[in-house]
Amino acid sequence: MDLLLDGFQTALTPENLLFAALGVLLGTAVGVLPGIGPAMTLALLLPVTYSVGADSAIIMFAGIYYGGMYGGSTTSILLNTPGESSSVITAIEGNKMAKAGRAAQALATAAIGSFVAGSIATVLLWIVTPQVADIVVTLGSPSYFALMVLALFAVTAVLGSSKLRGFIALFLGLAIGLVGTSTGQARLTFGEPLLADGIDIVVVAVALFAIGEALWVAAHLRRKPLEIIPVGQPWMSRADWGRSWKPWLRGTAYGFPFGALPAGGAELPTFLSYATEKKLSKHPEEFGKGAIEGVAGPEAANNASAAGTLVPLLALGLPTTATAAIMLVALQGYGFQTGPTLMDDHPDLVWGLLASLFVANALLLVLNLPMAPLWAKLLRIPRPYLYAGILFFASLGAYSVNFQAFDLAILLVLGVLGFFMRRFGIPVLPLIIGVILGPKLEDQLTTALKISEGDVSTLWSEPVAVVVYGVMALLLTAMAFAGLRKPSAGNVPTEEKEMVER
Amino acid sequence: MTAPTTPSTPLVDKAQYGLAAFLVLAGGYVLLDAAGLEDGFADQPVQPYTLPYVVGAALVVLGILLAVATARGDRPEAEEGEDIDLTQGTDVRTVGLLALVLVANIALIDVLGWAITGALLFAGSAVVLGSRSWVRDLAVGVALSVGSWYGFYVGLGIPIPAGILDGVL
Amino acid sequence: MSIVVAYSADRYGEAAVEHAADLARKEHTRLVVVNATLGSSLVDSRFAHDADIAALRDRLVAEGLDVVVRHDVVDDVADAVIAAADEEQATLIVVGIRHRTPVGKLLLGSVAQRIILGAHCPVLAVKPTG
Repeated sequence: MDLLLDGFQTALTPENLLFAALGVLLGTAVGVLPGIGPAMTLALLLPVTYSVGADSAIIMFAGIYYGGMYGGSTTSILLNTPGESSSVITAIEGNKMAKAGRAAQALATAAIGSFVAGSIATVLLWIVTPQVADIVVTLGSPSYFALMVLALFAVTAVLGSSKLRGFIALFLGLAIGLVGTSTGQARLTFGEPLLADGIDIVVVAVALFAIGEALWVAAHLRRKPLEIIPVGQPWMSRADWGRSWKPWLRGTAYGFPFGALPAGGAELPTFLSYATEKKLSKHPEEFGKGAIEGVAGPEAANNASAAGTLVPLLALGLPTTATAAIMLVALQGYGFQTGPTLMDDHPDLVWGLLASLFVANALLLVLNLPMAPLWAKLLRIPRPYLYAGILFFASLGAYSVNFQAFDLAILLVLGVLGFFMRRFGIPVLPLIIGVILGPKLEDQLTTALKISEGDVSTLWSEPVAVVVYGVMALLLTAMAFAGLRKPSAGNVPTEEKEMVER
Repeated sequence: MTAPTTPSTPLVDKAQYGLAAFLVLAGGYVLLDAAGLEDGFADQPVQPYTLPYVVGAALVVLGILLAVATARGDRPEAEEGEDIDLTQGTDVRTVGLLALVLVANIALIDVLGWAITGALLFAGSAVVLGSRSWVRDLAVGVALSVGSWYGFYVGLGIPIPAGILDGVL
Repeated sequence: MSIVVAYSADRYGEAAVEHAADLARKEHTRLVVVNATLGSSLVDSRFAHDADIAALRDRLVAEGLDVVVRHDVVDDVADAVIAAADEEQATLIVVGIRHRTPVGKLLLGSVAQRIILGAHCPVLAVKPTG
């Protein structure tokens, strides 16, 4: 409790409050802008933040994370363009509401629902994270190694529609993580001394998220403007409140646990929340035509899940989303030892972050509810400037790491890789997590085997490790079984996606 | 929107064989590299070549699996996005020109310095992406690159090499 | 023989269309409504929604006018209007004009100005009342 109060003290200093506000505004802006998401923004900001204090930077990142989601739901509702799969549902019901002249109510229930869900989920974070960390800290290297393998496996195989492509991404990432001389011998350096320290993770992140994305979008630019629904000040009537508050709470209940699980993701809880609301609603006939419950529930689930992903990030040092992965990179860049000991070693930082999430959430509501019409104006930025700007800042960021033209060359090569990954439907997330966790995996394995003096059986000598491998075996069997029954299993959400596109 | 006229995609995505070949080659190189590594020190229970062997082998296997899947009619789901229209084909020209702009930046940055190449990078990309008022593009580019140079130097204390403009900025 | 009007989905465009419709009715000529966009940003508020432009056409047709609508994504709005005028053998182009500060003119240029300078027939500039 004292720690939490200290955290608020950190978060509420004028300087950090300013960074939180900056983060929230920046996050919302990039959430609204087409083609830029929170993960790309964090990647672009990474090089700059190292000259700012660690707590300020992390607090700003938290603001961007929450703000990005808010901005994304705004465009989903007004333009019917879900930027991520987790806002597909919002786009379905929210855009129908907006077309029926209820844009203000849809925006309001999304914003207030996000606030409610974010606040509850943040409180849950305060309770759950330290406890998880306390448990994990007692585990030995073999168990921690097992958890890492599980996280890699889960992100790779459970999320995303094509397991094969997930594994391709993962092993490409692990291969990039091998580069360097960390083991005393040069691995995959092509005899290039500049590669001796490995490829800077900042450059990898910027290349994949910014250059790859910008090139991909440039190749497929949408030409015809989208039809935006004009909007005034968001507001809700009493009846809307009455229909919204229960979906908010239920959505939060779905979202948080899924986010906290290594492979939960935000997609599934939004679908579950939507299905539940449709079943429980007194107006089931409105679903598909713009039911407010269908916006309130999934939006809350989406936000709660986003908060939930901070549990494995802070308590285990295991990121499960792209944004969380880049936050981990930032923490490592500041020299923090991420993992279960982070909370004990740097309580001020972690609690400052946890407190600032609450602050960011409140700022989001206060700042953004009145600004919705203003945000819609951002959509008029000409695309050539938008994407030229992304390339500009990506190059600047990669260059400023070492002032080496060589880094820019790597940036381009990996950016082209990012382009082809998008072309072939290979997910970026497993790759980036492979780059981050690959070296740690090797470290952890080394530690475990050092203690056991080379006896490999140590890897399954701890009960937790055994349980984790058991879970993985179960998942594998389930997947193999599902694969056998339906040889060419189509992905489930296709139907909804088509609905949105129409 | 008018109904998207989806180009009739061939049953087999031939380009995916290229990706499969790339994976096999990359995996092969990782294996080759690993084979050249020596035994680690006595305090290294995990040999330096252990993980590379695993990763390289996995890449080769995945490449073969992908080739098999492609032959059996597996097609990729290209990534969608807010600003992406997949109903038209890939605009290779734009991507190629953008890559050229980035290559020019790499080639010139050591000589000319960021303040100049950054402006060219921005203006060049904007023109490639379809902006037609190149005077304005260049003006915005110069403002951004010089602004960012001073921003890094004064605001963040990071001195970006000035290149040819050393002493001018 | 026709009158071409450069339409934008705002009060300037409305004023231009109303004026052009009056003229077309008096002179019994065909009215060509051009609503074009560069498509360079995700949203262009001056580019009319499909439903709105259909409604506008229906309204003008109901008033007994011979109306053609060109609702396109083009490389240059001013060029598109001039090209439409040439193809339809226009006797007049009607544009709505807005006030711009000197800086605004420098940065954004003016479609109306470029139409006036480039057109091969008389151009009528209209301001919304009030």
